[in-house]
Amino acid sequence: MNKDKIFKLAKGFRGRAKNCIRIARERVEKALQYSYRDRRNKKRDMRSLWIQRINAGTRQHGVNYGNFMHGLMKENIQLNRKVLSELSMHEPYSFKALVDISKNAFPGNKNVVIPPRKVAV
Amino acid sequence: MASAAASLSTICTSLATHCSISHHNPKTPFLHSTSFPFSRTHSLSLSFQPTLSPRLPLPPKSSDTAEALSDPQSATQLVQSPPLQPPSWEPGLFAVVMVGGRQYIVHPGRWITIQRLKGAKANDKIALHRVLLVGTDTSCYIGRPVVTNAVVYATVEEQGLDDKVIVFKYKKKKKYRRTIGHRQPNTRIRINSIMGYQNYPKVTMDDIKDEEDKDS
Repeated sequence: MNKDKIFKLAKGFRGRAKNCIRIARERVEKALQYSYRDRRNKKRDMRSLWIQRINAGTRQHGVNYGNFMHGLMKENIQLNRKVLSELSMHEPYSFKALVDISKNAFPGNKNVVIPPRKVAV
Repeated sequence: MASAAASLSTICTSLATHCSISHHNPKTPFLHSTSFPFSRTHSLSLSFQPTLSPRLPLPPKSSDTAEALSDPQSATQLVQSPPLQPPSWEPGLFAVVMVGGRQYIVHPGRWITIQRLKGAKANDKIALHRVLLVGTDTSCYIGRPVVTNAVVYATVEEQGLDDKVIVFKYKKKKKYRRTIGHRQPNTRIRINSIMGYQNYPKVTMDDIKDEEDKDS
């Protein structure tokens, strides 16, 4: 790539990396390598975030994530984690309905006691 | 070429089971989907904000519009825009639809971008059959896995390309570097309506309250 393209990609970099071509070229190459790697990592990170959110939502209703997903798989509900996390945030009553379905599908869900989070005093 | 044609036909058959494309002459755009005035969004406090997928600024829910219409102060903001028609669907209607191997939460009147649909031109009508969940303000139809006979009707707005992504491959000390630019083709569709879910067993707010009372 020629110099103009390098400097365009080097906007916002620290110190001489945005102004001097020799340093900018190295930093831009590193940035592009990171973006290649992180396009794959983003998929993993997003899935992890969705699972955390679903976990938080189901624990409010007395079920943990693992048992909740097991109940959904038994009922052949094929909603993915992205949609489930959005429902847990924005459609609380629909999410409660899903949690109830999971509880009824997998009897082990009903007696689960979630210990309250320990807060530092 | 033969393998490409074979893969194309398999993609088309897999798409054909989930959505059907009908080609129509260009018609006038639907009025109800574009009649939501732009200025209203700032005056109302909306509880729903989509986090992951970019969409247009939200048109207000019909429950909020009912409150705002009765409020005389915000009536002055309506002077310049045409009178608001109440939407012809239930309040808070949404559906989870599976298109192109991905699931989207869909509201009537808004647009989404999906993977490129081959053979669809602008202003084509589309019917999406793989509807996994339909919800309204008061009830929820949960499909196992699909809500039977539920269809989401949409119109193709534009067949475009995503923003360019630079794919840069580099191995250090081995003099190997490759630079490729990539723009993923996509299709933008406007959701017109969600239909056909009424006869499916549903879960209403009363059922949820009964479950709560039973558990506690």
